[in-house]
Amino acid sequence: MRIGVVAFALVLLVLAPVRAAHAQFSFDARRFGMGGVSLGRDGSVSRFNPAYRAVKKRSGLNGAPKISIPIPLGLVDFLQQHPLGRLRYDPMFNPDSAGFNPIALMNLITSPPIFYDLKKPPAPTNDVEFTIGKNAFVMDLGQAQVLIPEQEFGLGSTSRVLDIPGPGFAGFHAGVMWFLNYDIGMTLDDSLRRVLKEADSVRANSVYSVRADALGQSGIAPTLSYSGRLTHGAGGADSSDDGVYLGGAVHYYLGAGYARGQGPAGFVTGTPVFGTAPTPLLDDTLWTSNKAFATGFGGDAGVAWISGPFEVGFGINDIGATLSWSDTKVQRFRYFSAGDSLSTELVANHVPTRTKLPITYVANSAIRMGTGTTVGGDVVNSGRGTVIHVGVEQRYTVFAIRGGVSRDQRKHMQFGFGGGLRFGGLGLDVGFWTHSPSLSEKRAMTMATSISIY
Amino acid sequence: MKACAAALLVCVAACGQGKAIFNVDVYSYMAGTGKDTIPYIIPPATSDSASTVLKVSLPPGFGSSSVDSVKITTGNADLLNAGGTGSIGFSLYFAADSAGTYTAPAALSIPSTAVSGPDTVAVAITGDLSGIVDSLFKQNVLWVRIQAKGTNGGATLVSGKGVLTALLIRVVLQDKVF
Repeated sequence: MRIGVVAFALVLLVLAPVRAAHAQFSFDARRFGMGGVSLGRDGSVSRFNPAYRAVKKRSGLNGAPKISIPIPLGLVDFLQQHPLGRLRYDPMFNPDSAGFNPIALMNLITSPPIFYDLKKPPAPTNDVEFTIGKNAFVMDLGQAQVLIPEQEFGLGSTSRVLDIPGPGFAGFHAGVMWFLNYDIGMTLDDSLRRVLKEADSVRANSVYSVRADALGQSGIAPTLSYSGRLTHGAGGADSSDDGVYLGGAVHYYLGAGYARGQGPAGFVTGTPVFGTAPTPLLDDTLWTSNKAFATGFGGDAGVAWISGPFEVGFGINDIGATLSWSDTKVQRFRYFSAGDSLSTELVANHVPTRTKLPITYVANSAIRMGTGTTVGGDVVNSGRGTVIHVGVEQRYTVFAIRGGVSRDQRKHMQFGFGGGLRFGGLGLDVGFWTHSPSLSEKRAMTMATSISIY
Repeated sequence: MKACAAALLVCVAACGQGKAIFNVDVYSYMAGTGKDTIPYIIPPATSDSASTVLKVSLPPGFGSSSVDSVKITTGNADLLNAGGTGSIGFSLYFAADSAGTYTAPAALSIPSTAVSGPDTVAVAITGDLSGIVDSLFKQNVLWVRIQAKGTNGGATLVSGKGVLTALLIRVVLQDKVF
């Protein structure tokens, strides 16, 4: 039971502003050292920008490795502190232990210990003080008040689990992708937020609720895409990558299934606050697809311009992606205090509904100077906040030093720096970066190490 | 209540190794109900007592927690003596039900305060209840009986009333929810 409560707590609290994970999804210490920036051709923006698919893959582009292999020093350290054979008794994983801290566990989940934590994410362990009276109930959460979000909190993502380009000619490709989209948003009402965030008293005959809106959908999308080089630089097509590249894709979405829930959940206090049972409040609507193969069109577009050492690109995905579900069931779930029962009411069945995929965009630029200097920046928005990265690398013979800054989804500034050594086809990179875990306003710092193969 | 308790427990659970501290305003359950007043009439050369009993609701879900301490941090009463000379003391009894407060030993006894003639005398009620009533503060409901015990060694009737003006109990729990 306790585990259930803790799990609920974790979900409730940390669905919260999920930190910008753009950099954290990479295992490249070079990228961490540059503040998480993706350097166009040798970065990961081709996932978002179809124009980059027409740019030739060139190895060793100003120090870009073919592959980066992470050195999981953090994992080694973690396993030393938390031996696998003793996980069952480990306070970190044992909710019955007095040392169990759900926030520390959540930090572990949101910041997997692949790399070595120089400064671990802080986990509040303060006392919580409650004042209880006949008509008063005050919760002073102390430092933990920072965990209570001011605005809507949640998480969402659109993934292309599989993106198979398929055969093609003259820049055209026919393929198929498997998409997965989820978005969960929750908003505390003003009363509940004041109680949790400002230690305001729970009042008699008042409503305290969380409004939730959760959507999940998945399906496949046969895709026709084009990527090509519009112009060439001086000297012809093969002398350099210079030119303007265009890319686009049209998706015919075939939704396999979706579900959406929306509504408040909470309670209404009685008089007095303590001594009368609050009435649970639940009045939610659930939409579910009865049949698969919702249909809809959407598209991607991208452009990239490369001129000598300079490149800039912009890509946008899932433009106008609206799925029409022909057969949907709409149900209403309500709690009735009389009889302590939950009722399910069929509002409508076999009705059409529509869902949308959020638009994702990325803009990037990089300049690779002949002096061994590379400067880059990118802006990414995948539906839940904009992430900005700016980074620079300077190479001196076999050495490289790097630095960068980023602004994460929660608008916190983060910093990265690092360096590298390269001997022939092999390199060793180290990158340090700060990040703010979901459940803290403070920064943690992690050291990433990776071996690069050129 | 379950929803409220669940919300509370979520907050407690989120705070890791911290302790849960409850300031229970017992007086708020009495104020305006008349239960904050204990009239007394003590005939000459006798002792007598009068009580008020009340129910206090506490958050559920802390049955498995361990109680670090239970203290009355703020407690005040006024003895509004109408006449006579004697002494009035207070005792507090805690139990899981109303009847139990009459059989439980006193958790706290405040030394008698002398009263004489028409006067108002302030009495401080503070003390450490740790180890005496710990288990009761892990339950959802608690009953408290406040007894005023008077002695009249004089030849005239001692009468008046004791009026509670504040009673705040601070309970510190080592969280072990459920």
